[in-house]
Amino acid sequence: MSAHDHSSPHPEPAAPQHGGDYEIMETAVRELLVEKKLIGPGEIRRQIEVLDSRSPALGAKVVARAWLDAGFRGRLLENGRRACEELGISFYDDTQLIVLENTESVHNLVVCTLCSCYPRPVLGLPPDWYKVKPYRARAVSEPRKVLEEFGTHIPDNVEIRVSDSTALVRYLVLPLRPEGTEGFSEEDLAALVTRDAMIGVVAANPPTRSA
Amino acid sequence: MPETYQFVKRLPNDIGGLQADAVQQTDHVLLPWEKRCHALADVLDFHKIINTEEKRRGVEALGADLVGKLSYYERWIVAFANILFEKRILSPTDLALKMDEVAARPRD
Repeated sequence: MSAHDHSSPHPEPAAPQHGGDYEIMETAVRELLVEKKLIGPGEIRRQIEVLDSRSPALGAKVVARAWLDAGFRGRLLENGRRACEELGISFYDDTQLIVLENTESVHNLVVCTLCSCYPRPVLGLPPDWYKVKPYRARAVSEPRKVLEEFGTHIPDNVEIRVSDSTALVRYLVLPLRPEGTEGFSEEDLAALVTRDAMIGVVAANPPTRSA
Repeated sequence: MPETYQFVKRLPNDIGGLQADAVQQTDHVLLPWEKRCHALADVLDFHKIINTEEKRRGVEALGADLVGKLSYYERWIVAFANILFEKRILSPTDLALKMDEVAARPRD
């Protein structure tokens, strides 16, 4: 558990070590819904298995494929969800996916100002910082400063585009392919693509850092 | 413009563009009950009992004070309970009795 920010007027409370009354409430709500046959007895466990099967490794595979296969890249930019499904990544919800391609002149950044919408089928669950006020509030108004806080310097001649996610439309950044990766396999390329690169707060790793 | 007008223009969740502190790159591994709570949200959505937007509004309806005091998944489970009451799917009595029953069980 990392420290949370005490200086904000509405600091994000730390998650307690056990849920206490709220854990009891979660168990009670779940059991009542099962007793009323509104949800099936094994559904929560099965959905936990789905959640556990999702991680940034899936998104990294999508990015690496797009770097290697121009046809796939075109289909990905046209319809992100369909192209991911082509790679066997199922979407377990009603969300659409828009893939935003970084270029030499445009850098993309993804946020959810209202809450915590995130491309969960391809990245898993969002990190805590994505869900709390400093990132949500500032990503849209001072993205360059926010990126500097992640150690990412975007030159002034590169436009920054910030995309604000909704309940139904989620975004994934297709980072620039790092230099010096000619001849890399899909697996080698995927190893350079981090969760944060697909949110847009950092670039993909250069090849030396992953070797 | 009256001082209160800012609250009319912005509901509590609508924080995009406001001033805020530097980003702290925080994260934590979800506790088992938090992960179950997340899975519950998905399953409620699959069955069209509570969708993502209803959940978000349910959290907003808790008000800024409570939102500021509860952790992320504490907000979710309280919002779910309130929405289920509103939809007459559960009653507060159902939940209170079930919570007493769960609380009385031996814990690990």
